[in-house]
Amino acid sequence: MTKKTIQLKVYRYNPQVDIEFKYQTYEVPYEPGMTGLDALLYIQDNLDGTLAFRWSCRQASCGSCAALVNGTPKLLCRTNIPEETEVLTITPLLHYTVIKDLVVDLTRGMKKMQKIRPYVLRSEKIERPEIMTKEEIALIKELRQCIECWACISACPTVSEAYYEFSGPLIMRQLARLEFDKRDVEDRIAMAFADGVYDCTTCGACKAVCPYEIDIPRKAIEKLRAGIVNRGLGPLEGQQIFIDFINKTGRAVTKLEDTPPFLEGLPDVMGPNTPVDEVIFFTGCLMDFRLQQTAESVVKILTELGVRIYLPKEQECCASPALRSGDVEVAERQVITNIKVLDSFETKKVITACAGCGVTLKLDYPELAKHLGINPPHFKTYDFIEYLLEEFGLDKLKEKMVTPVNKKITYHYPCHLSRGQGISEEPIDILKQIPGVEYVELNDAERCCGAGGGVRAGKRDLSMLMARRKGENIIKSGADAVCTSDCPFCTIQARDILNQLGSKIQTYYLPDLIAEAFPVK
Amino acid sequence: MRNILETDVLIIGTGGTGLRAALEAVKYNVQVACLGKEITGKAHTCMAEGGYNAVLRNVDPEDSIEAHRMDTITGGAFLNDQALVNILVKESPERILDLEMYGGVFDRTPDGRIMQRKFGKQSHPRTCYAGDYTGREILTTLVEAVRKEEDIELFDETFATSLVVEDNQVTGATFVDIKTGELNYFRAKATVMAAGGGLRAYRITTNAQADTGDGFVMAYKAGVNIISMEQIQFHPTGMAYPPSVRGTLVTEAVRGEGGRLFNAKGERFMKRYNPELMELAGRDQVARSIATEVQEGRGTEHGAVYLDVSHLSAHLIEERLPKMLEAHLEIGVDIRKEPMEVTPSAHYIMGGIEINNRAETNLKGLYAAGEVTGGIHGANRLGGNSLADTQVFGKIAGENAAKFVKEQSLLKVNHSFYEREETQIYSLLERNSGSSPAVLHDRLRDTMWDNVGIFRTEEGLKKALRELEAIKTELPRISLASSDTYYNTEWIRSMELINMVLMSEMITRSALARKESRGAHTRMDFPQIDNKNWLVVLNTWKRNGEMHIEKISLANIEIAPKT
Repeated sequence: MTKKTIQLKVYRYNPQVDIEFKYQTYEVPYEPGMTGLDALLYIQDNLDGTLAFRWSCRQASCGSCAALVNGTPKLLCRTNIPEETEVLTITPLLHYTVIKDLVVDLTRGMKKMQKIRPYVLRSEKIERPEIMTKEEIALIKELRQCIECWACISACPTVSEAYYEFSGPLIMRQLARLEFDKRDVEDRIAMAFADGVYDCTTCGACKAVCPYEIDIPRKAIEKLRAGIVNRGLGPLEGQQIFIDFINKTGRAVTKLEDTPPFLEGLPDVMGPNTPVDEVIFFTGCLMDFRLQQTAESVVKILTELGVRIYLPKEQECCASPALRSGDVEVAERQVITNIKVLDSFETKKVITACAGCGVTLKLDYPELAKHLGINPPHFKTYDFIEYLLEEFGLDKLKEKMVTPVNKKITYHYPCHLSRGQGISEEPIDILKQIPGVEYVELNDAERCCGAGGGVRAGKRDLSMLMARRKGENIIKSGADAVCTSDCPFCTIQARDILNQLGSKIQTYYLPDLIAEAFPVK
Repeated sequence: MRNILETDVLIIGTGGTGLRAALEAVKYNVQVACLGKEITGKAHTCMAEGGYNAVLRNVDPEDSIEAHRMDTITGGAFLNDQALVNILVKESPERILDLEMYGGVFDRTPDGRIMQRKFGKQSHPRTCYAGDYTGREILTTLVEAVRKEEDIELFDETFATSLVVEDNQVTGATFVDIKTGELNYFRAKATVMAAGGGLRAYRITTNAQADTGDGFVMAYKAGVNIISMEQIQFHPTGMAYPPSVRGTLVTEAVRGEGGRLFNAKGERFMKRYNPELMELAGRDQVARSIATEVQEGRGTEHGAVYLDVSHLSAHLIEERLPKMLEAHLEIGVDIRKEPMEVTPSAHYIMGGIEINNRAETNLKGLYAAGEVTGGIHGANRLGGNSLADTQVFGKIAGENAAKFVKEQSLLKVNHSFYEREETQIYSLLERNSGSSPAVLHDRLRDTMWDNVGIFRTEEGLKKALRELEAIKTELPRISLASSDTYYNTEWIRSMELINMVLMSEMITRSALARKESRGAHTRMDFPQIDNKNWLVVLNTWKRNGEMHIEKISLANIEIAPKT
């Protein structure tokens, strides 16, 4: 048996002699447990001594060896090569000029770092030893895990569009690390504001590529925004509108004049009398006030599957718009209200078809309840898709989906569903089972559409730059429809940009497609 | 055109020691320049895991400076320079508080002080830590602190090639900018050597790729005394499998927190070698014990033994050993449930540049600190004493170098030195017919591991010397794939290889000379410690272009071994 080899397709460029970059492919013998770094070292030692890349520790401590592996930024020493790999493409980090091959000049990033005075500034005489409690260091420990590999900069969709105004996740993390260090006296809040903390869509791409999975959106960005709101610098104007609505009505958006809200006029309970299961439908504001038809599809599907649905009219905004823009006070009030409403039912299953509501109910509610000292939610939140698959399974759905939906459909991964809740391939699995649907892949499908984190509301220009990239990719996919489930923000954003780009591509929510495929009654 | 730069204090090395020296020097209102082979913050210090020894008495009020001193000297098998030990143990508590002042975040006791745990051969728990990434925490802290100082100029990715010496005084250094390949000449009133270790010369090592012994060699070529080079620490526990991670450090904290060693037969074998201290015996002894188990056929299929923490709570492992957990999950081993496979790995050079209490060397204007120096750790370094060393002696070197420059003006540029250096360095780029540096490096690593490893014999050491000679004859014929100077990794590796070969010769010749077993140096043909004849230090120095090893008496003996 000949030894298995893998192909490494490596970016080659020496600006001193080459006019442009090229790819060079090397054949490397495969060893079990081998990493991307091992493969490059093999090339350098045995095949081509001219190849340049950085590395040092081999153990994710130094952060020298980050590059893009098949387009995803990561440390080469933490890139395990699965045995079935045939080709691995390695290219340099984005947004920095290439010195040679995979070696980039990080000066651009370092200048942004230096600008924030990235060190602990003191004002008073220091007591020795200084007393710092476990709780005090807990705030900064995770943020301090950063090894400055710069991978997150390549992953960040905002940096891709506006590095000139957003200093990027790595630096936002450093600002938070300093802001929450009681020893530092510098005004990090003002710096974060100036450095574009409101430019982040909280898409979580940075966390996904971080070797230490530092949760920069939640632990740095949103916490810094909370500080900004405390100081009266935020939320941004466009975001304040939603907060004002929440303050006035409990809901983040207003009723449309021509279409009544979905919940209005519906009974408190729907579905069969002898149900197979019972759920509470947390519609969220957009599903109730803007995507009524989709909410109807959700109810139709559940009813068809024999599920009894409770429709609490007292539900209010989930708190996401307030949380993402930093208004913790408003958010806390919403959390208290909704926990009370949702926990008043006997059933403990809450479903939502909104990725924003889902992530907030799942992750923020327990944390905020703890912070408020109130009982944590007893209910369990499911995204609608997650619920369908967990409770009924793909086969059951397949059985029910009988009416052909003749469309060529592509799928965009909503950030707060895929990275936020770990539901990424499931919607595609369902799409593929709908009769008549031809699924086509979307290039860069996991990239943020630009709507989240209050960016669409607060920074529309920036938001549309991100949307444009998404829209162009959708058009290039050749699909005649795009599915953006389960996120109303992505849906609105996609409709908006496709319209602006003059495209006729339709934007769908998965429940609408499923409902369409269900038997006609 | 020659690129000539000037500074007051030049620091070679940007690890824990170099950056600490820079932070100290700059306080004296002088200009500081640092040369680092990597980007600042990537040096080997970030790989140190377990901790930093300091008598803070936060966990054990019974601990004392005296106890730390005794542990260090007995641990070092009395080969330590005891005056330096005294400084280390007295000043390390203040230096960790300096790190906190800069912004360091160490784990806490319930009352908010720095947490401490027990390490090998310690009479009291005194190792301060941040999880099992203490070195990374310290380096991150120093990088933050250095970024605050505008008068510290960092020259990232530069390779220092030689010290410039005139009349027994160091007047600067030459260095290659790795990014462009330009050779530069740095005029400096004082120079601090903080270039770290060099165990990339061994097949199995915990060391980072930049640890190629450049500091020892630059100093040696300049006429500096290099002592105790035979004393190489083999860390008992490096990862064993798969080959990709072989040698990677498994911190002593694993044993400090209660980890147990088992052979393939399931025996807790340390009871045979040191029933009292068991897994927390000295690193030298534990490494020998593991090697013996494997040699005698009680090792795993990967030539290793098991290190097990699965009896500890998952929470403790997650909080105190997160890096170990992550690194093993990466290779499919959940240490909360299954044992690790470990094997000794070349870790630390106890020997190095001889310094005095002021971190001065035998050359005027040259200071040294950190792993590149010798004497502090004797024949075996205690876990946790190295990070302390970087801070204590880094500070001393920076301070004394800065004070020295107050009385010193820049000396003239030695143009002929520059020209010789230039010829030598660029001539490497012109050859294309001999072996590649990678092939010769492999030969070197095998030679050192097989013959100058944990167990040594005269025969093996002589064989190593012959092989080193053979490699040396190949060096002038090294061939490179490209003559391009821009980020030519192979070219830099060739220069590193030349350094490693010379350093390996120092190690091997010293090991051959020491006809006893002491600390990490184990001679199978002289298995006993011999305090009568061998309580002396071996000094490696250059005379008429030849390497000489001489016995010098051990300075500052306050505590003598009971013979």
